[in-house]
This record gives sequence, structure tokens and C-alpha cells, in this order.
Amino acid sequence: MLLYVLKRLAMTILVIAVTSVVAFLLVHLSGDPAAAMAGEGASAADIAAVRETFGFNRPIIVQYLDWLGRVLQGEFGRSYYLRMDVGEVLAERMPVTATLGVAALSFALLLSIPLGVAAALKPNTLIDRFALWLAVAGQALPSFLFALGLMYVFGVYFRILPISGGTSWVHFIMPSIALGYYATPAIMRLTRSGMMDVLQSDHVRTARAYGLSPWRVVIRHGLRHAIVPVVSLAAVQLGFMLGGSIIIESIFSLKGIGYLAWESIQRADIEVIQAILLVIATAYAVLTLLADLLNAALDPRIRIS
Amino acid sequence: MKLKTLLCAASLAAIASSPAVAGKADDTFTWATSTEVGSADLFYGNQREVLIAAYAQCDSLIYRDPMTNEYAPLLATEWAWTDDTTLELKLREGVKFHDGSDFGAEDVAYTLNHIAAPDSDMQIRLIVDWIDNVEVVDDYTVRINAKAPTPAAFEYLTGTMPIYPSGHYDDAPEVPGAEGKTRRDWGAVEPVCTGPYMLTDFVPGESLTLEKNPDYFEGSPKGQPQIGRIVYRTIKDPETQIAELVTGGVDWIWGVPPENAEMLSDMPNLEVVSASTMRMSFLALDAAGRTGDTPMKDERVRRAIAHAIDREALSESLVGAGSAVLDSMCVPVQFGCETDVAEYPYDPEKARELLAEAGYPDGFTTPFYAYRDRPYTEAVLNYLRAVGIETDLQFLQWGALRPLIVGDQTQVAHLTWGSNGMLDASASTGHYFQFGPDDYARDEEVRDWLAEAEKTVDLEKREELYSKALKKIAEKAYYTPLFLYGRTYAFNNEFEYPVTDDEMAHFYLGRWK
Repeated sequence: MLLYVLKRLAMTILVIAVTSVVAFLLVHLSGDPAAAMAGEGASAADIAAVRETFGFNRPIIVQYLDWLGRVLQGEFGRSYYLRMDVGEVLAERMPVTATLGVAALSFALLLSIPLGVAAALKPNTLIDRFALWLAVAGQALPSFLFALGLMYVFGVYFRILPISGGTSWVHFIMPSIALGYYATPAIMRLTRSGMMDVLQSDHVRTARAYGLSPWRVVIRHGLRHAIVPVVSLAAVQLGFMLGGSIIIESIFSLKGIGYLAWESIQRADIEVIQAILLVIATAYAVLTLLADLLNAALDPRIRIS
Repeated sequence: MKLKTLLCAASLAAIASSPAVAGKADDTFTWATSTEVGSADLFYGNQREVLIAAYAQCDSLIYRDPMTNEYAPLLATEWAWTDDTTLELKLREGVKFHDGSDFGAEDVAYTLNHIAAPDSDMQIRLIVDWIDNVEVVDDYTVRINAKAPTPAAFEYLTGTMPIYPSGHYDDAPEVPGAEGKTRRDWGAVEPVCTGPYMLTDFVPGESLTLEKNPDYFEGSPKGQPQIGRIVYRTIKDPETQIAELVTGGVDWIWGVPPENAEMLSDMPNLEVVSASTMRMSFLALDAAGRTGDTPMKDERVRRAIAHAIDREALSESLVGAGSAVLDSMCVPVQFGCETDVAEYPYDPEKARELLAEAGYPDGFTTPFYAYRDRPYTEAVLNYLRAVGIETDLQFLQWGALRPLIVGDQTQVAHLTWGSNGMLDASASTGHYFQFGPDDYARDEEVRDWLAEAEKTVDLEKREELYSKALKKIAEKAYYTPLFLYGRTYAFNNEFEYPVTDDEMAHFYLGRWK
């Protein structure tokens, strides 16, 4: 088990390193960062000055190693545009995205697992049809449209929820629903199919034959097995959400890191882009690792193999 | 029932936890745009939003009345050129900065010398490059020594040049630069000014709050502040901006798309106004042959392109309210902008004839570069296609297009230019026709006229030089001017302020009805 964890950790670090190299290259190859930073009205001399100040005139490999050296010392650099240390910016914006991601995933799980279980218990009934409809709608509806619909109903028509900003928990209700709904169909379909398989398995039949209460059979002997793949999926979804949803964050004007990444790319704020990528790659890798460990805890078969 | 209870609870929570809302009731005027503001200092944050805030927060030496375009004394009470390159200004006495310190000649000299220094990293070099140095004559007199005669100096000393207290940048943080060196991040210092509103809170990328300055000096041409608090918020999504405006969360937005303008003007609580801006849209044609041998070198081809595009339809139907057709390579509100120039009415037949005359009876194919507002570019391409000019569109980010322009690689580019808000033709015409990296015409005569105009203090003579240059530019069809961008503003109709053609929002002149 320890060897397994160590291997996975080494892999994680490799993934992060490769991501950062690729990102660094992409930012530099997609245009002259000095021209983007100097702005539209800049003269050639202004651009040359920016190039000099930020060291863009050096070979790209030297620039990368310079950046890497500083990061290894815990120095993430500075946002030239927001004029703050990158660490400071992330400390301000990460909690927004984390709150949104966790709330959205909670909403998705609370909606999709019970529905998935119910659909599996009563296949081909009204509830199953409803669940299917919800899944199709969730998959088909673009998230920006759903978000705008929510905004119109609860923000403009009833005026009971704030439309934009992130100054209180109430501001997170609509964005969490809009973001979480997107993850709902996949989780629900997986729960449903998992449950249907498990409910037909020998050990459930045996448990029923023993005369255990139906709830105990469903939760303890059914769901516990069916949920294993759901955990992996949820972890990936959370990773996706922690990467920040550019669309949801920009619609609800939440200043999270997805939105920050998008804006930073537009203005070639390289050190911010690099830092966000590191954070996202790390979040993905760690969450995947955690999901595997959690699965191992839930399912002894994984533990043994 | 349960749902109802839940919604009630949520609405109560929303009311309890919302921050102060916008509007007349709590004397807070909230405006929103989609731009993220990184620096509140105009010298380091060259954006319209910062300029709007700076006009309210800061005073410059000279004020330009946005209604009449006349200069009026602000921090300077009198000014005069004592010789060709020396400008002497008498300053206003009894003015205080928001931090309580007194305003005087030291502050003016400090601010101007700081930003004019070559290593100041100041973003609009144009407005400071003419300054050699600034001397203190006495407590309330300064002398600006210019490098050369600078007729546009008064323009440069208006709202785009706020005055900060002496020593203002001392606290600028030292931050890591390239190769282990450090640099000073001047733009990270929050501005301290003398204007009608005081900066009380600034969150980079999010919001900027100004509050009324109760001690603003009497007799300012800006008048006394009337609104208690002016809050700026960044809201990226236009739909969200509209939702906030409709529900009163925000009092003012701009850039309302034509499809929404009508809907908003039907709302009883809103006012919708359109005005033109200073941003020109035009095609830069490689008349000089910088990219090599190109059809653009032929004047008939350039004229054909000008005739091929229905600029009126483009401006009226596509760009929408506030937009205007552009005939000359300058903004009509700018000093020296000659608009009585050769015109090229929409005439595809004539365009085809001209192309045939130039030896392209079946048209030709050319690379075409653009970076902004793709629908406008696509419309232009359709017009060109209709007369036989096929294009290979390269739609790029500005950061990618700019090096191509500088590097002699753009045969035809659809560009825009906002003149940095300067009301002087040197900022538009001067930028494109003086053999700089953006000049694809390279006409020596035009260059010499413009250079002469930039150092001629006699206004009439100056106007004449610009007129000559602009007439020749149009005659030769070096560039194809298309249209001026328009802007539609929508705001709370309890708020009143003059909507102007300078792409500015003079909120310090605003009041509740």
C-alpha cells in the first residue's frame, strides 16, 4: 500500500511538472506577452521596455528555469496586472472557488444519489422516468442558459436571491445549483445502474432472505457497493469544479480562480496563469488519489489487489 | 408549502446579509462594467474606468469642460508660454489633498518629474514625453521645460494628468523582477488626490469606492460633489449587468447591445442614451509595400476597397446607436481633425472597375488580419468578397497581432484606435503616419506636415497642416476609415449627468433628481 501511494505521488509530481512546461510554452507561443502587457496604444519602445523589465528577451528555457527556481523557494511571483503577489491573489480567490465547488458538489450528490437509488428501486416507473428526464435535461441544457434562467426567475422576477457577487453565503445559492446541476446526470445514472446491478446480486438476495429490513438492505448492502464508482466520478467532478467554472463564475460575477485564469490569459499575466495551473493540477491529482484511497476503504477487494 | 417556506427564508437571509444596495435611497451610486481594474492609478492603469474614477477623485492642472471643450483653471489658475519651450503655471492656493496635506508647487514638480522619468513605467508615454523637467519657481508657481515646442501641452495637462502629493510613490513596493533583480511597482500605490471624491476602498479586479469630499475647494469648475458615494464594480457578463440594472443593484452600465437597448428603454425606472466614442475602426492597407509586393501598393486597389464597403449600413445596422461613419483618419472632436476630405461612397460597380483597371479583373486573394469584434470584420469581408477580393482571415489576440504589424507582415489589417482619449489629431493621425511601426503608408510629405504641426504653437497654422495631411491621406486612400464606435448607456433615471461624446462618464457632475 505504501509503495502504491509513493508511486502515485511520483506520478502526480510528474503530471504537474509536464503541465507547467506545456502551459509556459503555450503562453509564450500564442503571441508576444510583452505586446499584450503593454496594451494597445503602446509604442515599440514601450513594448521593448516591458520585455526588458520582465525578462522576456531571454531564451524561453532560461525564463522557465528562473520561474521554477523561485516557485521551489515558495515564491510564486507577482501579478503584473493586479499588482499583488500571486500568493495573495490566490488566497483571496481560492476560497470563493472552493466554496462554490464544495457547495455545487453537495447539491449534485444530494439530488442525484437519492434519485438514482429511487430510480433503481422502481425501474420503469414515474420516478425513474422523471430521473431520466432530469438527466437528459441536465446534459442537454447549456450551463449558461440554466444559470441565466435561474437568475431571471429568482433574481429578477421574484427578487429573492442576489444576482451577482460573493459577499455572503446567499450569493452562492444560485451559482452552486447552476454548477452542481451539470454534474447531476452522470452521478445519477451511475448510481442507478450500480444499484440495479447490486440489487440483483447474490449477497443482497441473501440479505433479503435473512429478513433484514428493506432500508438496511438498500443502504448497507446495496448502496455501499454501488457507490464505489460514484466516489471516483465525484472526485473528478470536484476537481473540475475546483478548477473553477469560467462560465458560472463570470455569469454570477464570483471572483474565483476559473474566472481569474481566463482574465489572466487575456492579459498574459503569466505568473498568475502558472500558479493557477499548479493549483488545479495539484487539486486534480490529490483528489484522484483520495478517491482511490476512499474506494479502497469502501471495497476490500480493491484493498487486497 | 415547504418550497414557499424555503424561498421566504432565503429571501430574508438575502435581505439580512446583502451589502448596501445602490440607489438614491442610500445615496450610493453604483456603476459596473466588464473590465477588471488592476491599478487605481491612471498613470499605471490605462483604462476608461480608471479615467472615470480619476476625474472624480483627482484634479489636474487644467480642466477641459466636457460640454464646451474649453479649458478652465483647476489646480493651475493661470498659464502661459514664456518662450517656445517654457510653460509657466500659477497654482491655486488653499487646496488640500485627501490626506490633509497642503497642495503646492512641490507636488506638481514631484508628480510630473516622477512620471516623465524614463524609468517610471508610465503607460501613456505620449502625454509625458514632451516634458524635459519641471522646476519649482515659488510655493505656488511651477515652470515646465519642454523638449520642443508642444502645442498639445494643455491637452496633456488636463484630466489625464492627476497631481499627487510630493513623496507619493515612496511607499511603492519592491517586487521581484527578472534574473533576481527587483523593480518598484509604482502602480500598486493607491492614489491620493485633491478632487471632489475620495478613494476609500479599492480591491484590484473587483471594486473601487469613492466618497464625497466634504472639504472640496470652492470655485472648482467641477462644482461641489452631490452624491454621497460612488461605487465601481466589475461584472463580466453583460446579461448579469442588465439583470442588476433592472433590479436596482446597479445604477449605470455602458456598452448595452443594440438588441437590449430597446427593451431597457421601455423600463419605467431606466434611461437609455447613445453617444459616439473616440474609437475609430479602419482598415490599414500596406500602401508602402512593407510586406513585399502587394496589390495594396496600387492606389486604384485601395480606392476600390474604399468603394466596396457600405460603411453607412455597417455603422447604422450593425454597430448601432451612437456609431457614426468615419471619413477621415481622425476623430471629429479632435483639434485639427479635417473632415472635408475625399469621400468614397458605396459603389461596388466602381470598385470592380477600379480593380479591373489595376489589372485584377477577377479580383485577388489577400491575407487579412483582425483582432476585435469579429462580426464587424466578417461584414467587411463580405463586402470585399462581393467585388472579388477573397480574404484569408487571421483573427488573433492583440498580443499576437501586434508583433506582426511591427514586423511588416500585415497586408490588410482591420484595426481600431481610441487615441488614448486625447482631443488632438496628434493622437490619431500622428500615431499612424509618422513612420512609426504602425505606419503602413510611409508618405514623407504627410510625415513632414505632421511633424511640423506637432511643434507649431500657432493654432491656425497647425490646423492648416493637419488639414493638408488628412486631405492627402484620404486622396491616396492609404487607410480605409470605416466608423466610430458608438456606446449605449443605460442608467437609473433618478440619476442625472451629462452624457458626452468623449467616451467618458463625468459622474462628479451627477446628482439625484
